[in-house]
Amino acid sequence: MIPHFFFLGCSGKSTVKQWICLLITAAIMTSAASARDARTVMAELMQAERAEQAGLIEELSTYGDTIIADIYEAWRTGGIYLLEQDTGSQLLQFTDAQEWALVHNGAVITLSEAEAAAAKKQRPARALRKQMKRIIDTLGLKADNTALRIDSAIKLGRSQKAEFIPALEARLKVETDKQVLSALQEALAISRLANGEDAQVVEAVQTLKALNSVAARAFLEELMQAEGDNEHADNSLSDACAEALISIERHMKQQEFFGSFFRGFSTGSVLLIVSFGLAITFGLMGVINMAHGEFVAIGGYVTFLVQNFFIQTWGLSSSAFGWYFIVALPVSFIVAAVIGLIMEVSIIRFLYRRPLESLLCTWGISMVMQQGFRLIFGAANVQVNNPTWLMGNLSFAGFQMSYTRLLIILIALVVVALTWLLLRQTNLGLHIRAVMQNRHMASSLGVPVARVNRMTFALGCGLAALGGAVLSQIGNVGPSMGQAYIVDSFMVVVTGSVGNLLGAGLSAMGIGLVDQLLQPSLGPVMGKITVFVVIILFLQWRPGGLFPTLSRSLDD
Amino acid sequence: MENSFKKILSLVAVAAFALSASTVRADDCADDTVKVGILHSLSGTMAISETSLRDVLLFTFDEINASGGVLGKMIEPVEADGASDWPTFAEKAEELLAKDEASAVFGCWTSVSRKFVLPVFEKYKGLLFYPVQYEGEEESPNIFYTAEAVGQQAIPAVDYLLEEGYTKFYLIGTDYVYPQTTNIVLFEYLLSKGIPVENIGGGIRYEGDVAVSAGNYTPFGHTDFQQIVAEIKDFAASGDACVVNTINGDANVPFFKEIAASGLTSDDCPIVSFSLSEDEFRGLPTKDLVGHLGCWTYFMSIDTPANDSFKANFQDWLANDAPAAVAKEGRVTCSPMVLSYNGVYLWKAAVEKAGTFDTDAVIAALESGISFDGPGGTVTTQKNHHLTKSVYIGETLEDGQFEILEVMPDVYGEPWLKGTF
Repeated sequence: MIPHFFFLGCSGKSTVKQWICLLITAAIMTSAASARDARTVMAELMQAERAEQAGLIEELSTYGDTIIADIYEAWRTGGIYLLEQDTGSQLLQFTDAQEWALVHNGAVITLSEAEAAAAKKQRPARALRKQMKRIIDTLGLKADNTALRIDSAIKLGRSQKAEFIPALEARLKVETDKQVLSALQEALAISRLANGEDAQVVEAVQTLKALNSVAARAFLEELMQAEGDNEHADNSLSDACAEALISIERHMKQQEFFGSFFRGFSTGSVLLIVSFGLAITFGLMGVINMAHGEFVAIGGYVTFLVQNFFIQTWGLSSSAFGWYFIVALPVSFIVAAVIGLIMEVSIIRFLYRRPLESLLCTWGISMVMQQGFRLIFGAANVQVNNPTWLMGNLSFAGFQMSYTRLLIILIALVVVALTWLLLRQTNLGLHIRAVMQNRHMASSLGVPVARVNRMTFALGCGLAALGGAVLSQIGNVGPSMGQAYIVDSFMVVVTGSVGNLLGAGLSAMGIGLVDQLLQPSLGPVMGKITVFVVIILFLQWRPGGLFPTLSRSLDD
Repeated sequence: MENSFKKILSLVAVAAFALSASTVRADDCADDTVKVGILHSLSGTMAISETSLRDVLLFTFDEINASGGVLGKMIEPVEADGASDWPTFAEKAEELLAKDEASAVFGCWTSVSRKFVLPVFEKYKGLLFYPVQYEGEEESPNIFYTAEAVGQQAIPAVDYLLEEGYTKFYLIGTDYVYPQTTNIVLFEYLLSKGIPVENIGGGIRYEGDVAVSAGNYTPFGHTDFQQIVAEIKDFAASGDACVVNTINGDANVPFFKEIAASGLTSDDCPIVSFSLSEDEFRGLPTKDLVGHLGCWTYFMSIDTPANDSFKANFQDWLANDAPAAVAKEGRVTCSPMVLSYNGVYLWKAAVEKAGTFDTDAVIAALESGISFDGPGGTVTTQKNHHLTKSVYIGETLEDGQFEILEVMPDVYGEPWLKGTF
């Protein structure tokens, strides 16, 4: 075993000291060379000078221990800390289990709070990361994590180096996971395109065609070109390549199409969430609320405040932090609903049935609120971090859906369902519908019109803030964040017919889909313009929107 | 009643007029000061970025005044608010030159604001120092470009990526003049370096045989990058790909959040951004940006005595001498700020060399080549109104700073790059 005092006396600051320390370490090392394990070398690598690193990395490549990949991954992503004390310095790994482990032997130790605060994050230099890549890539094949294995296989294949083929073949024999198996086959085939014998190359092309390998496209094109230039060759190989390429392209088109559908639903859900509140205040109540965007911003800022509260109370890396977003959703709804309530009582209630005044007045309120955000939170945007469980994505049948986008679709569905229940199944909902249909008649039948108005407006504002909370996960939170969505919101409500929630939902989804389906061919700028043109034409054709309200009265 | 109110009003107006007239006269008498203009947006969408430049300019003037001024005269700054509105920039420029007779003006951020004030400066034979990285293709006799030209930011960054072994480049930007011009220059440069057309992603638009636009463009304030990120993922699937990002402003937030969610890491596919400096990082989730690259002619993390004292003096000024309107919390320094700072010192040196504030003489002195040891290293003016300066490539860290990976010393500032490769 390596003696424990191994790092004692190494103060990270002074390079001279470090040098001496390394020399001593090296001396101990050579005497106990056989006992060196991967952990020790990794620990040494982390503190080595640049000139030393190449040798250490070479040494690492002789180990097959997957612990190297684990420690390296922690190092790369900021999980390794250096604790400097009077007695010497220690390299520590902050593990997934929220414990501190010594890098050079893996022993778990407990740190006092002061020590934990004093520990400094370490990270590998870019040059070193490039050198480590090769070792990590081959090691990755043996990792427990399937995603790491897939990643490693793809990288090895893409390098097209013959030296990796044995490792890939060996892994193919023992691999059981389906996804990893196909990644290994793909990697081997890509590698053999450059290294195999003729028969193997043809076979590799067939395999890649069967796998519909997107990664192989560039390599197949390259091979086809090389074959085309070679006059002595027969055409069978380049024909096979061309066939494979056509098949892969077709597969990609399909993926693209389905991907666009998913992205369309996700864009539609974002539109739906931010405009649903407006569908209630403008659609049902007839208040042209230009401050709608600022209620969206309130949602973003409340999420920011809740996040900060969680960071202050439990810390950024704690497991509790992940819950902040779940807490932020209802809190932002309630805060905005209360502010909306105050606004209704103090201003909006004097403006019913006076659209022009309500437009000007709420526009003024929107400017006051924006400036208020600047005063309280500053003119710059604020940072909202995604909780860890929302990072990453779900792979399904070849295309990916990020968790944030999936959650947004889910929240949109829940919001629609709850609003529908509220309007159709509760007493308040019945009152809301009655007041919206005929204010005076409802009033004369004993419906408390003023109270219903207050509740409806608060509900609309709360929903807007809910949208803002969701947006904080995919975009900016800043004083003018609402401005980016106000036009879209009105567009959705008008297209879907003012006063019809189902119409708003359908038009949001429709606009999202059209936008995403047009984007690949037209680009974002032309795509957006085309969407606007389509909406204008649609409204020319059906001025009332998707589901116009049929009415016998003359003034409607 | 109403009548007497009007009377009072007119009296007040007369009094105000008399007062202002007397102050004007007082100004005219003061010949121990020299007026210098600051022309930045202090309101509107650009205020977030441009206010920082106003602050650093005020700091620089105070620093120079404390050490005796220029030719024995104290600098008297005249602030003009361009209000993120381009015609307003032109109006304010005219006011600064015609009414205030400013000896020099420091200002503008967006290229379009510079294009608006350019004819004004040429008409009044004024002198403008422009401090923000831009697309080149311009050389006005009345403007000095302390900014990074394409050859001092985009080209070195691409050189670095080529050296690192990247062979596929995806170009993405906001749809306006700077990204469009920069990307078309980069497109020509990449072709000249032997990168095949199909390895340049984002889409290329031809008119006849000539490529007129390269890369994928989004509107200002774009929020939905799903489609583009999916495209980048396919593009990067066969390896060795990187992204050249000229997206401007806060549209970078949804872009980097989408990239992070897609699982693309900076090791798989690094993104080099030209519009994100330390100052912008204050409002960005830097966690999503770690490991991606930046390229500027100054980084706050440069470890030299000149930079240390610059940073310390700026913080000291913020704490003690800054006017109330200047934000004091969490301030950083960045390339456009330092290029503003350098501009003032270059102007001071030129005035001292010419021995007069006369614009023509100062411009002649600047053209003759003047050096200044700034926080980002030595900068030297050139005959073509640009600067020779050092270029730095850096990698973003979690705390919003850059770790410097490579330094390219004394890069010549060349604005005319289109069609030269």
